[in-house]
Amino acid sequence: MVFPTVQFAVFFPIVLALSWALMRRQNVWKPFILAASYVFYAAANPLFCVMIAGITLGNQACAQLIHRSDDARVRKRIVVLAVALDLATLGVFKYYGFFATEINGLLDTAGLGLPLPLAAIALPVGISFIVFQAISYTVDVYRRIITPATTIDVALYLSFFPHLVAGPIVRAREFIPQLQAPRDPRTVAVGAGVALIVIGLVKKVAIADFLAREIVDPVFGVPQAYAAPDVILASYAYAVQIFCDFSGYTDIAIGLALLMGFVFPQNFDRPYRAASFGEFWRRWHITLSRFLRDFLYIPLGGNRKGRWKTVRNLMITMVLGGLWHGAAWGFVLWGTIHGTALVIEHQFRGKVTLPRWLAWAIVFHLVVLAWIPFRAPDLGLAGDYVSRFADWGPATLWTAPVVIVTFLVIALQLAPARPMDALRVRFERLHPVALGASMATVILLVAATVSSQGVPPFIYFSF
Amino acid sequence: MATVERDPFILDRPTGRRLRARDAIVCVFVAALLLVLLEGESIRSSGERMDAGIQRDAVLAVGKPAGWLAEQLPLADAVDEVTAYLSPDGDLSGEGGFDAAPVAGPAAAASGGTGGGASVPITTDSFDPTELGTRTAKLPQLGTLLVTGDSLAQPLDVQLARRLAGDGVQTVRDAHLGTGVSKTGIVDWGVLSTQQAKDREPDAVVMFMGANEGFPFPGAGGKAIECCGPDWAVVYATRARRMMDTYRRRGAARVYWLTLPLPRDPRQQAIARTVNAAIEVAAQPYRSQVRVLDMASVFTPGGRYRAAQDVGGRKTIVRRPDGVHLNEAGSDVAMGIVLQRLRADFATLGRSR
Repeated sequence: MVFPTVQFAVFFPIVLALSWALMRRQNVWKPFILAASYVFYAAANPLFCVMIAGITLGNQACAQLIHRSDDARVRKRIVVLAVALDLATLGVFKYYGFFATEINGLLDTAGLGLPLPLAAIALPVGISFIVFQAISYTVDVYRRIITPATTIDVALYLSFFPHLVAGPIVRAREFIPQLQAPRDPRTVAVGAGVALIVIGLVKKVAIADFLAREIVDPVFGVPQAYAAPDVILASYAYAVQIFCDFSGYTDIAIGLALLMGFVFPQNFDRPYRAASFGEFWRRWHITLSRFLRDFLYIPLGGNRKGRWKTVRNLMITMVLGGLWHGAAWGFVLWGTIHGTALVIEHQFRGKVTLPRWLAWAIVFHLVVLAWIPFRAPDLGLAGDYVSRFADWGPATLWTAPVVIVTFLVIALQLAPARPMDALRVRFERLHPVALGASMATVILLVAATVSSQGVPPFIYFSF
Repeated sequence: MATVERDPFILDRPTGRRLRARDAIVCVFVAALLLVLLEGESIRSSGERMDAGIQRDAVLAVGKPAGWLAEQLPLADAVDEVTAYLSPDGDLSGEGGFDAAPVAGPAAAASGGTGGGASVPITTDSFDPTELGTRTAKLPQLGTLLVTGDSLAQPLDVQLARRLAGDGVQTVRDAHLGTGVSKTGIVDWGVLSTQQAKDREPDAVVMFMGANEGFPFPGAGGKAIECCGPDWAVVYATRARRMMDTYRRRGAARVYWLTLPLPRDPRQQAIARTVNAAIEVAAQPYRSQVRVLDMASVFTPGGRYRAAQDVGGRKTIVRRPDGVHLNEAGSDVAMGIVLQRLRADFATLGRSR
């Protein structure tokens, strides 16, 4: 089920009302929300529920065994087994086809037989998010940061529908404590929740889908048909599209959770105002960067084992971070570009100081360029796309709405936050009836911009 | 990776006051009520357009009373008028709609919907010159290619556009997801095909559609014609024939209509077989301009579904995991077949990569 759809508009008010009605009776509330979350997930494919249940039970069993054991070696073996099983699940669903094709190609080139069997495996939506959260739970139990929760709490943690499909990647230690006691019905951040839902809808439907339709999809689809002006604008437009699409989803997810009394971590903080790649990763997909930091970069040694190992660790982290998005060389290249930029930044830290505006301009444009292999269907087309920068032909897609929307979103990220925050806080203070009316008005306006094709899926659904 | 000092939470920033859970429910239900009053009809029609199942039932359970309520009030029209300028869709209220045409029954449909039952004259349009072994003196240039259909037309449309970009061909991609000849709720292909032909004046049209078929057609006396018997096939073929006639623009354009590779689901296979049979019949009077490209025998030889097949000497997955659509590799195979026919019909395409 997707947020901006009629199905969800029917589903959510019912679930919200029943959730608060049952909140005090946790023994009823928890099975109810779990069932609602599975219904939400089953809308994509009921079989996927079996997968998520399997991940839940497998990680819970491992967490319990880890907790009961005092033998460090046994604990380590179990956590390695749990993480391996989680990653194997991810590998089968997400990467098998990619690696089987690549390995078969190599075997074929070398004249060797015995190709790996091919299978068209359906990718369960949000599998990368679910698996990362499962790893976070088991590893945090291993590190004794948390104790194992009840099975139903773990099941709820992994399947809670607002964050189920595309994050934010909520850590077990952030979410499970919120399940220990009923949420307080007297202090619900209603205004903040509604504001986020409204902003998220505008970002996704009115901005991201508009830019995709008007410029990004045509140009990235057939870059050969466009000259430099269109290709340049499409590059900026895609940077805006992916930001509005993904941050729009997480805004809605966080807003829905707030209405239900739950608080999620922030996932975006105006990333295109970053003046360094380090800063970019503290502002872009924050929950993924901290996951990679805590579960990959630091366990690899972080920056504590000398210069070259820091370089190695940064590159491994960013390349795997790229590969997390999907089985394609474009994602690997994107991760490599970011890893290289972080390495260069690390090497020159304290030695070279650029004016902030210049640093911003360099970082922003490198980020925009790095999105090209990320978005292009394959590396060949990414190359074709880049080659179009040299062809100065006519601008065919430079319409006023596309240009205004693209550069307005970028400009808003650079503008001081205070006036926008003040505006948002004023909105959040409205009476609940006024908040509801505002939400309906925005939904009506946003719905009017949807084509007969409906709302395209969020980009991060495929990751 | 740089270290994050502290994990930020959304409520760390300045926020408005905290309210009660009751206020959250009030807020959401006020929004829901307003949407029911203003867009109840849209909720109902969204439900009607959905495939059968629990989700459709749930949406219709709300949508039917909401639609009725909205009909009693003049608000929906006012909202539509105010927001119409925001719509990205072209106006599809033109002529040529399937549902607007009187359907007296399969017999009438079979004779082109005239109801007269008169014999249809056979013209030279019924013969493909290639099949007769005659050659056209000079092949026309391909200026504009329209690639259209439902989700099956993707990624074939973009692959064709890429391949033909170097030949100076303008490829118009116009796939309408979730639509079908037997499903007029979202898009009426009678109207749409008329408008596409009028607006774009394509020299060639590639049509790949059929993932959302199997819906009942309105029959005589309000009785529905259910899929997938001969009566349903007659109406489908009649509609497809009208579209072919529209696209061929009195012989000025060529139409390449791809049949359906059989899907994995046996129930959907029955629909696909009927659609394929109807396409073959529909094209008969226009063989001179309409080419039916057989995808069923390419991807599902012997009527057997398979996800992978030999492509360029290597076993390759050609279907998407949904068991309906072609993936990139499969579309590439389909594109090769389309290009082969395009090259036979048009000049300047022979040197395409």
